Amino acid sequence: MNKQSTLAPHESMELHEALNFKTLCLAKSKLMQGLVFDQELKDLMQKDVVQSTQAIAEIQALYAKAPFQTQVPQNRPTPILN
Amino acid sequence: MNQDYLDPINALNMPEMADTTFAMDFLLRAKEGVRNAAIALTETTSPEARTLLRNQLRQGIAMHQEITDLMMRKKWFHPYELSEQYQLDQLSANNTVMIGQMNLFPGDTSRKGMFDRTPDEHMKGDQA
Repeated sequence: MNKQSTLAPHESMELHEALNFKTLCLAKSKLMQGLVFDQELKDLMQKDVVQSTQAIAEIQALYAKAPFQTQVPQNRPTPILN
Repeated sequence: MNQDYLDPINALNMPEMADTTFAMDFLLRAKEGVRNAAIALTETTSPEARTLLRNQLRQGIAMHQEITDLMMRKKWFHPYELSEQYQLDQLSANNTVMIGQMNLFPGDTSRKGMFDRTPDEHMKGDQA
């Protein structure tokens, strides 16, 4: 196992997938709390929000070692609504 | 239940139907998360990446367990009495198809102009 400073290509794509998946899980678990009626379900979604937030931080840290890593701009460069 | 979203008949036990649907979505995401993490783990070589994914896989399995237990307790999920599950599946499918045919959202939703400039930009106010 070589001690590379950057990640291998394939695993970097796995982190790309994992990060997007966790981001969407966070978004949905947060959004759904505004819709659900049952308190226990809502609490479990909040737990998912907390866990996903933590997971995202971990993935982001490692994702920074992807070979295609680059500077992250302040916000999206061009407005999406033309 | 019918197509008229103003008809109070549609409110009858709507909360249970809604929560069943939200919980099912939550369950499917948890299942997806476990499966994705397992497959991702088999494509990673760096020790750091493997540790991270192994932890997330374990956490995902635990969350999946919690959601499943909650859904069974609430009778939103019947893995043992399949005729119960059959009824739920068909019922929520019918209801969701009906919701799908309702005209719920206004035609133009671009909300143009509300998000792509500062409020007083057209009066050069933003350079005041």
